[in-house]
Amino acid sequence: MSEYDYDLRPMTPSVVLVGSRSSADGYAIRDFLTRNRIVYEWRDLDAGETHAAYRPGMRLPLCLIPDGTRPEEIVVREGATVETVARSLGLVAEPRLAEYDLAIIGAGPAGLAAAVYAASEGLRTVVVESVAPGGQAGTTSLIENYLGFPDGVSGNQLAARATVQAERFGAEILLARPVDDVAPDSGGYISRLSDGTTIASRAVLYAAGVEWRRLDAPGVDRLLGAGVYYGAGPSEALGCRGCRVVIIGGGNSAGQACMRFSRYAAHVTLLVRGDSLAASMSQYLIDQIAERENIEVRLRSEAVSVDGDDNLRTIGVATRGSDAIETLQANALFICIGGIARTQCADRVGLMLDSTHYLLTGIDLAPGGEKPPGWTLTRAPFPLETNLPGFFAAGDVRSGSVKRCAAATGEGAMSVALVHRRLAEIGGE
Amino acid sequence: METVAPITELPPNPEFAVLASDERIDATAAALRSHGLEALVVGTGAEARAAVLDRLPEGAEVFNNTSITLESIGIAGDVERSGRFRPVRLQLFQMDREMQKREMRQIAAAPDWVVGSAHAVTEDGSVLLASASGSQLGPIASGAGRVILVVGGQKVVPDLASGLRRLYEYSYRLEDARARLAYGVPSGVNNILVVNRVLAPGRLTVVLVRQVLGF
Repeated sequence: MSEYDYDLRPMTPSVVLVGSRSSADGYAIRDFLTRNRIVYEWRDLDAGETHAAYRPGMRLPLCLIPDGTRPEEIVVREGATVETVARSLGLVAEPRLAEYDLAIIGAGPAGLAAAVYAASEGLRTVVVESVAPGGQAGTTSLIENYLGFPDGVSGNQLAARATVQAERFGAEILLARPVDDVAPDSGGYISRLSDGTTIASRAVLYAAGVEWRRLDAPGVDRLLGAGVYYGAGPSEALGCRGCRVVIIGGGNSAGQACMRFSRYAAHVTLLVRGDSLAASMSQYLIDQIAERENIEVRLRSEAVSVDGDDNLRTIGVATRGSDAIETLQANALFICIGGIARTQCADRVGLMLDSTHYLLTGIDLAPGGEKPPGWTLTRAPFPLETNLPGFFAAGDVRSGSVKRCAAATGEGAMSVALVHRRLAEIGGE
Repeated sequence: METVAPITELPPNPEFAVLASDERIDATAAALRSHGLEALVVGTGAEARAAVLDRLPEGAEVFNNTSITLESIGIAGDVERSGRFRPVRLQLFQMDREMQKREMRQIAAAPDWVVGSAHAVTEDGSVLLASASGSQLGPIASGAGRVILVVGGQKVVPDLASGLRRLYEYSYRLEDARARLAYGVPSGVNNILVVNRVLAPGRLTVVLVRQVLGF
């Protein structure tokens, strides 16, 4: 036990989640709570744990939530979902203003950077985030090459600090609801959230980032949340103590996940499709992985199937140059195989996308110097501006963006200067 | 060789469980003030809670130390659960003990506010704290921006010598039993902080309560 374990346990009751490790709903809530930095206790019925409030027959997962400063008041949610838990915890807030200067969709590094700059410069700013601040970077255990943090910083900490910073300047951050639709309205835009809440803004920054590319292999969908996870699974690290973990991917996210899980797991296998890590992973991570005795890197390898009853048990692995399918024993599989742009609602509003569904901006909209189709202004689109005036994009979701945290924060900051120019154009600034 | 019973099997010395008189508490507060501390005297735990909440700004970063006193009068819940503050304790608890060791040390060492308790306060104006890990002591001595200590009136002792006796003969014995029950490990008077004088006026506030609170 470290000195921190001795001194840092919460003095008051925390959220308790009771369920089965093989439940995808349970995993979604654990992931949500972890990424939103909500302290919780996880009681795994499969491991023989229980809770006084649990009775057989109750719908799982069961979530017990203390009520503010009255610990004796416990809200019990049967069949809990991320949405009901978020509401019970008071994380679902309504927008305070009838209109904003800037609505930012996505609270990853780009969205949070934009929120800090916009709010600090006096713009009425709201950020809408479907899960938790931080985006994909928020699940990273340790970013060691982010400027100004010589000892590294976790994505979660970076997001937490940025969130506090943005809120200090007056930005509102609305969590736990995705944006379903955005539509032009009176020179600005109306964003509609999944629960029907609408947000009017004079400009929009779309920074919804990317989601993990799906692994097309038999068994993956059935065991999702039951040993198979997309991303680095920060909520699962402690649960992997002594386990055999497999990670798929050749990028920095996969490398960082390797380093995290190697601290807890008995053995970590990294499956990489390519011939080397050098093409896709930072050298410092390659060096760290090489030094860690319990990490095995398998190049030219792919997972072709996953199997298990209630939980993942085995992974079928094919290696290029061999006809044999090898069966790996595994307790957990983390899939970090690149991203696909979250442009579903952008599609509906008529934004132009590249061939891989990333948002086109600036000169990429009309490479020949022409204006994009339907563009009515005399000026050309600003850099980071989409084919809709006043609708900007930044970060990983933007076509041509560099998939690095620092690049995303840079784009977020830059976008605010362009938003100012747009607001001046339509008046009122 | 003489066999000595483990100290933890000794009962707490009841001499240190007795609430000090109003006069002694008032005199202690005056002595603390003369040493650069802010000291106030309140009648009940509820009043102490109100005094603490009155001083903590909305949205402040607050580290509530492990403390039976804070827990019993509701301040631990106020800090951790009310949503009015940014609770450092919960932030640290969620961090990765392996990957974020250094970050944890930095955050724990210098919170904006620390709210805690002390194990003894002397009538001539010193504050004594003991800690098994020592992690609470650095921020209280200098790392934290502001410190508020809520102290039950039974912790008032005549002088430093009796204060040290109180740590070993009373606080430690109760804390050791609590630690074994709560964490499964023994406690220890491994580190001691004695605050004799505070140079920055008002940095350290002691709320003396005319009531028995904590260990």
